Amino acid sequence: MPTYEPEDIVNDLRKRAAALGSRGIIAGIAGAVLLIFLWSTWFTVQPEETGIVQRFGAVNRTVGPGLHFKFPDGIERVRLVPTARVLKEEFGFGTIATGAAGRTQYAPGKKAFKDVSLMLTGDLNVIDVQWIVQYRIEDPVRYLFRVRESRQTIRDIAEAVMRRVVGNRLGSDVLTVGRVAVSAEVKEEMQKILSDYETGVRLVTVELQDVTPPDTVKPAFNEVNEARQDRERTINQAQEQANREIPKARGEATRTITEAEGYAVERVNRANGEATRFRAILTEYQRAPEVTRRRLYLEAMGSILPEAQALYIVDSDQKALLPWLRLESGPMPAAAVKESGLEGAKGGRQP
Amino acid sequence: MKNALNIGFGVLVLAIVVAVSGTFYTLEEGEQAVIVQFGRPVGDPVTEAGLHVKLPFVQDVRRFEKRLLIWDGDPNQIPTKGREFIWIDTTARWRIADARKFLENVATEAGARSRLNDIIDSVVRDQVSGSELVELVRSASWVVPEGEILEEVPAEVREELKKAVVRGREEITRTILAEARKVIPQYGIELVDVRIKRLDYVESVREKVYARMISERKRIAARFRSEGEGRSAEILGTMEKELRQIRSTAYRRVQEIRGKADAEATRVYGAAYSGDPEFYAFSRTLEAYKEGQNKNSVVILTTDSDYYRYLKQSGGTGATRQIR
Repeated sequence: MPTYEPEDIVNDLRKRAAALGSRGIIAGIAGAVLLIFLWSTWFTVQPEETGIVQRFGAVNRTVGPGLHFKFPDGIERVRLVPTARVLKEEFGFGTIATGAAGRTQYAPGKKAFKDVSLMLTGDLNVIDVQWIVQYRIEDPVRYLFRVRESRQTIRDIAEAVMRRVVGNRLGSDVLTVGRVAVSAEVKEEMQKILSDYETGVRLVTVELQDVTPPDTVKPAFNEVNEARQDRERTINQAQEQANREIPKARGEATRTITEAEGYAVERVNRANGEATRFRAILTEYQRAPEVTRRRLYLEAMGSILPEAQALYIVDSDQKALLPWLRLESGPMPAAAVKESGLEGAKGGRQP
Repeated sequence: MKNALNIGFGVLVLAIVVAVSGTFYTLEEGEQAVIVQFGRPVGDPVTEAGLHVKLPFVQDVRRFEKRLLIWDGDPNQIPTKGREFIWIDTTARWRIADARKFLENVATEAGARSRLNDIIDSVVRDQVSGSELVELVRSASWVVPEGEILEEVPAEVREELKKAVVRGREEITRTILAEARKVIPQYGIELVDVRIKRLDYVESVREKVYARMISERKRIAARFRSEGEGRSAEILGTMEKELRQIRSTAYRRVQEIRGKADAEATRVYGAAYSGDPEFYAFSRTLEAYKEGQNKNSVVILTTDSDYYRYLKQSGGTGATRQIR
């Protein structure tokens, strides 16, 4: 009421009142109030949202996307909750900017992130786990009015559950094959707790991102991987050598056996052949032993002597031959033959 | 006076507005209220949201949360039963179950938090210092790992892994909740849940753990390498054995075959040559002479030899000499 305002305002209003007349003032105020009331009687709900209309504070109705009407402020209020949108919480890392301009940028590793991501495994080692939780607000009334700080609740529960699940497994399991099982287990357990709390939240997915050993320990882990590769390589090399050499040895064995069989056939054939030949000769020999014998002897000598390098024929009466005959093993040089002063029938042509 | 009338009218309107607004009050969804008359709570707490009536001027509305609230404790450094110092960070969920008791006992959320601090911290401290670290980390559903996954676990840790979990984190958490709940209802608070949010080594211990992890890894790496070498040696050994077996078997076969052939040949020769051993010796000797002959041979013969006997004399007595 203007009447109670300080003097100058009162005076000012009096002047205006005089100009407009008191009816004009009342009409103006009433018009403004009405306008504000009317302004607050309609609202739009975006496609991904749900509107919750509260009458005198109590939930009266929920409305879907579109244009809606309500009683003016003071009687009814509306709250908009993005129920269709998938919301995300990041653990152990922070996305600064996503997508449109190119690659996603992540906040540099801070201690706060490490506090979240470092956890103990079942074998009492430390592991660095980064993960995300995606959820939807399934029941906006519960989301708003059953739990205060719903977001922090989701974060706390996510950390508690992830630590419990990781603590119940071996570090090497979480690092390798256990990833999927871990996220499934976390999701299930988190959902159960969040439902018990009546948060009205439905988890869409829990996904592990980078799961690594702590930075200080990483090189040692890499060394184990290298060693595993080394092991495989060494074994493969040995296997390769074995695969190369054994078939080869088998082949060689078969060859020597076959050769031996060849030898056997040859040996027996030769024996039979020679035996037959001998028998044949023997038969003829027995008819004229003396002559045949002599003939054979002379024939043999006749074929041997022309082949010899040197031939010395010594008179049987000559006794002192050895002192001046220089015998050498190996080829006898032509000079030596001359020096010896002997009659050398070299390559003797006598038949 | 027209002015005085106006003022009087204005005061009246104001009084009516104040009286009406003092009679009605709205309660937001998620809130509850206690009606206080001259500072003393009256009646049951109001828990239904909406428009409510009270006495104007004499009664006052104290609003409280009906929703689930967070209690987040400061991280504590606590030694476990095994004397390892760990950081433990717990979080709890609570709600104001009885607004009147709450108003009478702790009055504000800050007051409630400080009570919860005292109670939960001490219970957590008791439970943690009475438990092994392993019990705090693992759960009752701990499955003794086996198979390939153990490949990277050092032998002495494997033994430790086989120990059954007696209580486990869940059971310890449940005990904390149960112990804390015993004291809390008198404040009008309902403790819904207590959970261990974080559990970590203190800085100095963490360094040692890292050093241990590194040495473990190095040992495992060394084991892998030597396993590789061992397997390799094994394969090469087996290969060597097989090679020797193959070669010696072949050698045996060769000797058998050759021996059999030689025996056969010997038999054949024997049968043939025994017809006239002397003639065989003679003819074979001549053969041997021919075979033993080469370009470098030097032959010395006397004129006594059968071949040259006619070189000295053309016949006679010498011819009758027995030939050997």
